[in-house]
Amino acid sequence: MFRSRVLLFFSGVCLNDWKILFDKELLQQCFKSVMNRKRALISDTFKVNKRRVGNEKQFGAVNNGEAGPLDVKATLQDLMTLFPRKLFNDALPQIVLKHQLYSIHNDRTQVDRQLSDLREQGELLMFQLGFDAEAFGLVFAADYKAKVLAGEEGRGTRGTVDKFLEKVLPSCKDLSFNKEKMLKEFLFTDSEITYKEKSWQLVKSGVLTVRDAGSWWLSIPNSGRFTKYLIQGRKAVLGMVKKSKYNEVLKAELEERQTNSQVKFQIKYHIHDIIGAELVECIPTTSGTVLRCVDY
Amino acid sequence: MLGFLTARQAGLDDPLRLRRAESTRRVLNLELNHDRDVDRIHNNGINTIDIEVIEGRYMLSGGADGVIVVYDLENNSRKPQYTCKAVCTVGRSSQYVHRFSVETVQWYPHDTGMFVSSSFDKTMKVWDTETLKPAEVFQFEGNVYCHHMSPIARKHSLIAVGTKDQKVQLCDLKSGSRIQVLQGHRGEVLSVRWSPRYEHILATASTDSRVLVWDVRRASGSLFSLDQHNGDKSKASSEAVNTAHNGRVNGLCFTVDGLYLLTTGTDDRMRLWNSANGKNTLVNYGKVSNESRKGLKITVSRSCSPEFVFVPCGSSVAVYTLHTGELVTMLRGHYNNVDCCQFHPDYQELYSGGKDCNILAWVPVVRPPDVEEEGTAAKGGSQATVNPAFEDAWSSDED
Repeated sequence: MFRSRVLLFFSGVCLNDWKILFDKELLQQCFKSVMNRKRALISDTFKVNKRRVGNEKQFGAVNNGEAGPLDVKATLQDLMTLFPRKLFNDALPQIVLKHQLYSIHNDRTQVDRQLSDLREQGELLMFQLGFDAEAFGLVFAADYKAKVLAGEEGRGTRGTVDKFLEKVLPSCKDLSFNKEKMLKEFLFTDSEITYKEKSWQLVKSGVLTVRDAGSWWLSIPNSGRFTKYLIQGRKAVLGMVKKSKYNEVLKAELEERQTNSQVKFQIKYHIHDIIGAELVECIPTTSGTVLRCVDY
Repeated sequence: MLGFLTARQAGLDDPLRLRRAESTRRVLNLELNHDRDVDRIHNNGINTIDIEVIEGRYMLSGGADGVIVVYDLENNSRKPQYTCKAVCTVGRSSQYVHRFSVETVQWYPHDTGMFVSSSFDKTMKVWDTETLKPAEVFQFEGNVYCHHMSPIARKHSLIAVGTKDQKVQLCDLKSGSRIQVLQGHRGEVLSVRWSPRYEHILATASTDSRVLVWDVRRASGSLFSLDQHNGDKSKASSEAVNTAHNGRVNGLCFTVDGLYLLTTGTDDRMRLWNSANGKNTLVNYGKVSNESRKGLKITVSRSCSPEFVFVPCGSSVAVYTLHTGELVTMLRGHYNNVDCCQFHPDYQELYSGGKDCNILAWVPVVRPPDVEEEGTAAKGGSQATVNPAFEDAWSSDED
């Protein structure tokens, strides 16, 4: 383990510092030896058809991708359990970020495809979370409807929101909403006053947020605190990785660490978040997966 | 492997299948090799490499000091250890050398008598390889970032040039003048590429985050612009509508059959597009780190299955599978940023050049011989005259 650590360190360290001291051949030898330790890449056509059970037990890096067919829905349900419902007094549906799925499954294109299938079927909803162009939140449709209606109890805007959820949400699979769609599908009359009032009611209830003149993003009501805690926690966890020696930490060890008051979610939630968003590099080693800070 | 050979022999398999399988195996085994080296002539970073198409024997490289070098890649020395020697150089002492850094070099697609280089000294020179003197010099108003000649053109001999100006210039080799201007971009043009399938289709990438596809016979403008959201206006914020990337687009590459186009941008993403209708195929490569302010030269493998794309990523070259987006491996060996890479299709080798003034050759590893056990070695001694081609070194003991 020590040897592998040294070689990892050696290959990972910024070589610009060392090139003056070492010559090219020595360093290239070192690279070659590191690369030879990996199993040679074999293309599919040459792989032996029989499964060698037991021969290839890897006891460090666990390879999730080879387990079976990709099941995004099951993974989503697993990840949803990490979401803290009590923190928001049960007012928010369980939200999972799209890139957290990338940290579990290797094949991103397949994950994307299955997600779009689920959205087509109307089971899953995707929202633009706003703090990052690429951060999308995923919520199960049934969950979302239940929570929104629960939040609207006793409010004047209840009727509008009800109608919106019933009529528009099943037919609209996009992330945003604009005026024509609103008029066409939502309202029966196209009188200006009613349209303005209804759209204002929807924004007030939190189901829509303003994007542009005449267009809105679909959103989750009361999700502001979620975004705030997520960014805070992400920064804190990244800080933990950065403060470690050599800017790297074993994933298993990070999961066991005590979190400070900045981190409000479970640390596993944040770990999936930073791996999927590629803010840390995931390196398989003989003692497990190592997360190393990517500094740009 | 023997299975493939016998199937090919018996006619059960298409000849292409054996070739593809072996090419893929070789690409997956690319490694830095002790025995293969490229002469080190440049004293500054290497910006561009090009290998000629006809024989695959000569390689051009252009550096940040304006120096252009021609190397001979073929190994005639009968020894495995070989350094690719520089055949000739346009060095700082030549009176025709470029004054500033050479950004792109390309061999004339039909023979090696001529090559074209473009540089930050606002000129593009057409060189005669024999005498190393420029036969033609094209002057431009801004720094020239890139140029490209169509590899299949028979009806025209146009060079597309991307400069600091927003207009893409087309220069004609036959007449020696700039004959056409393509207007449509709103920023500097960082990369231009002709399609390897249709000789009149050109793709250009610019700092305004857009990639435009043109048919040069058409006077009225671009055919279409690549849209990363495929027309789904809801995904983007309103400024990002109809853009190929969320930052500058600085790398363009067509696949060998011309059906797909790859683009890389400073938003750390790489996208694969269907070149016929401009749709984003939504293959997710993950974060492809890209900090280059100028163009980035990416390259695609040829006649492998699955195809691979080689992208310079910081100080290593990342190898991705083209259609699934999986990161196959990172080729590490350079000491500083890698700027360009080029794939040699006949030998499945990769040459990469970077700011550390080195060109590295990544060569496929030869199959290791199987280590025989002690018992069979004694028996094998009596059968020492067995032709190695019929030796079974590939099937496993469990079969």
